[in-house]
Amino acid sequence: MTGIQSIQNATENVHKKLEIIKKKDPEIKAFIEVYEKDAAERAKEIDKKIKTGKAGKLAGLVIAVKNNIAIKNKRLTCASKMLEAHVATYNATVVERLLKEDAIIIGSTNMDEYAAGSDTTHSAFFKTKNPTDTSRVPGGSSGGSAAAVAAEMCDAAIGSDTGGSIRCPAAFCHVFGFKPTYGAVSRYGLVDMAMSLDQIGPLAKDKETTKLIFDVIKGKDPRDPTTSVFKEKKAEIKSIGIPKEFFEGVQPDIAKSVKDRIKSLEKQYEITEISLPSVKYSVPIYYLLMSAEFSSALQRYDGLRYGAASDRTKDLYDSFEAVRGAAFGKEAKRRIILGTYITMKEFRDAWYTQTLKARSVLQSEFNKALQKVDLIVGPAMPTEPWKFGEKLDPVEMYSADILTVSANLAGLPALVEPLEHGAFQIHGRHFEDLNVFDLRV
Amino acid sequence: MENMSNVIIGLEIHVQLKTKSKLFCDCPTDYLAVEPNANICPTCTAQPGSKPYSLNKQALNNLLRIAIALNCKVVNESFVQRKHYFYPDLPSGYQRTSKPLGTEGRLGHIRIREVHIEEDPGRYELRAGTVDYNRAGVPLIEIVTEPDMRSPEEARKFLDEISAILNYLDVGRDEPGSTRVDANVSLDGGTRVEIKNINSFKGVYTALMYEIVRQQNILRRGKQVEMETRHFDEATGTTLTMRKKETEADYRYVPDPDVPPLKISAKLVDQAKKGMPELPRAKSQRLTQDYKIREEDAWILVSEIEIANLFEKMAKEFDPQQVALWIRGPLKKQLNYRNLGLKEAVAKEQWLSSLLSMFLKGEVTDKGMEQILIAMIDKKKDPKALKKELGLEKIEDMAEIEKVVDSVIAANQKAIADYKAGEEKALNFIVGQVVRMTKGKVDSKLAKELILKKI
Repeated sequence: MTGIQSIQNATENVHKKLEIIKKKDPEIKAFIEVYEKDAAERAKEIDKKIKTGKAGKLAGLVIAVKNNIAIKNKRLTCASKMLEAHVATYNATVVERLLKEDAIIIGSTNMDEYAAGSDTTHSAFFKTKNPTDTSRVPGGSSGGSAAAVAAEMCDAAIGSDTGGSIRCPAAFCHVFGFKPTYGAVSRYGLVDMAMSLDQIGPLAKDKETTKLIFDVIKGKDPRDPTTSVFKEKKAEIKSIGIPKEFFEGVQPDIAKSVKDRIKSLEKQYEITEISLPSVKYSVPIYYLLMSAEFSSALQRYDGLRYGAASDRTKDLYDSFEAVRGAAFGKEAKRRIILGTYITMKEFRDAWYTQTLKARSVLQSEFNKALQKVDLIVGPAMPTEPWKFGEKLDPVEMYSADILTVSANLAGLPALVEPLEHGAFQIHGRHFEDLNVFDLRV
Repeated sequence: MENMSNVIIGLEIHVQLKTKSKLFCDCPTDYLAVEPNANICPTCTAQPGSKPYSLNKQALNNLLRIAIALNCKVVNESFVQRKHYFYPDLPSGYQRTSKPLGTEGRLGHIRIREVHIEEDPGRYELRAGTVDYNRAGVPLIEIVTEPDMRSPEEARKFLDEISAILNYLDVGRDEPGSTRVDANVSLDGGTRVEIKNINSFKGVYTALMYEIVRQQNILRRGKQVEMETRHFDEATGTTLTMRKKETEADYRYVPDPDVPPLKISAKLVDQAKKGMPELPRAKSQRLTQDYKIREEDAWILVSEIEIANLFEKMAKEFDPQQVALWIRGPLKKQLNYRNLGLKEAVAKEQWLSSLLSMFLKGEVTDKGMEQILIAMIDKKKDPKALKKELGLEKIEDMAEIEKVVDSVIAANQKAIADYKAGEEKALNFIVGQVVRMTKGKVDSKLAKELILKKI
């Protein structure tokens, strides 16, 4: 464990991390920007607090933040040409809460453009490599955050998860990653991908740090009315459900690791096989809903107020078209077009409205199952990380999300912990986030 | 204008609500009182990562008061949608607009389809190419009527009543353009044309008159009115094509995931009902009955709550009919001319009583009263002091008055000849001369009597 109490010297810790970054990041490319000077200065301040015993819960902890979360006076790029030069004017609530507890933000991490992707190869700037095997992708879209943690360039990282964007790279890079209950963590300052699915969460090398960071960032925020007062609901864990649908098409060695993990639980918990039939539709439900919300979220980028500038000599609408055409990447455009199409008057009933209904069926399936069992577990990703250039067909990439999208669609907390092969995923009930951390090894 | 029996009019009325902060953030709402882009934050300029805060409670309360005043059913639950379109004044690329919060209302015989809440966009100056986002996010409600109006006059009366209700509830903003109207017009059950963005209630009448004549002319030529959206040009009083049906916008309405569903509890409705004043329609009926004044006068008195209250106070002291005539006549004339409310114009309310008392007792003439009224508003002085200061005590001395009349007669022999030849107007001229020479200190009725006696 990266003992939090063990950080007695923030300056030393920052220098250690900066050295690792210097050594490893030229190859891994986890960071879009490293705040070397700011981090060192802040470490000095925090060391003073440590000496006087006034330091916060995260004193001296070095944290990397996905570059779709606003840090005041720092570039907020979303790994897109559209926002390449955009500087945030305010701090995200999560950033405020981290800083209040004396964390040190070391830099911003790479991601798929606007979080649209599962391998961080859709960054408009560069690709991030998987530190466990540099010929492979780190997963995504929070690939930079997971890689930075895996390569020990930071103590923990912040990511965002819309359909698995924390858990996929955590699984691929063999670190812990947690997607909280929808509404447990404020999204204020998180650039929208799909508003009803997005949630900020931590990644770290151990469960305790992951949990500690969640504990700091959680809670109601008046600037995000979808947040709730986080009441620590801790039911005793007695039973665990294993949905059979979670093992379809999972690579044998990953399935074996997951089953071994489940076996280790048999003595302490009641294990039941359950069925969640909607899981087989979860990927289309997710991609339709996410695209509809994505197309709405990206309406604001017209080149007038920030980011890539539109050509003012052109007609207004021509200038919007030109700037959006030039500054959005292919995957972002694909989702904008799909999302626009299914919300148009002629098609919305057939597509968008149906999708909303399907989502609520899936939600109630999970909620019903969680009335019978306390946790639902299974694998996190069906495959090992793919090699660069291996998955070029978007639908093939989308299908790898089958095990992660349900937690977002149902709004449930889900923790990913690394196994020998692949990773284990633990789902809990709404706002019983702390329970998923309590499963004994 | 010819027969209007075939005209069908429906209105969509946008009213900016009077609140301290914007609909989804804490920025102040006084968008004209400050420099451009002074009242902005990440949320109302839709900076990447920003989110709407909870819907402004004051705005919701204001909306509920309006919905209740319009006799609407208040819904239990509603939600906010995103209406997508690209325009520089719309920083997020969508406007947040709720589903109906009040439905099936009625104001007289005009049915109200629904009332909902939305956020105002910023202000885009097309020529300068600049945008001011001070207004972006200011709460706005939309009142949608059924197509129940049959003439521009009827629409005007309806809007006058809406305007009075807003005044009574004190829920609307005062900036010019804070109320805007879209009007739907069709003739003979034919194609419906929408006129967008009429920037004042007064403009609605002009726009409708123009549009009806335009459509009548098309029909007279045996042609069909095209389905389209038109724009009202205030400067010329005409309507111009904005877009035809085939290019009708698709706003891709979706529920806004950032704003939790709006739950309207019975408690919230009760709270909104609390302190609900007697509304203009009821007040007008009561005044007509209780004070035996004309219905027409009562409607004018109730158009503003302060005026209505003033009337009731003064009607206890003086003859109600005289009070009604005086308020709607000389007093309203001076207020309207200065575009002032009663409170701003008159420093002390008792001044009005003492002025009216002077006039009704015959201590000053009608002209003198008007001069004192003007000075009282402009100089903020007591009318009793002004009467002396301006030397407007009525001349009571008959000998003195007769002297003036004689000299006027002597100086205007031609006018007298004209009058005798049958030109009535000439007499008014001579009376006017007497009033003028005495600076209004002689009653014009008395002057006329004397002149007639002497010529």
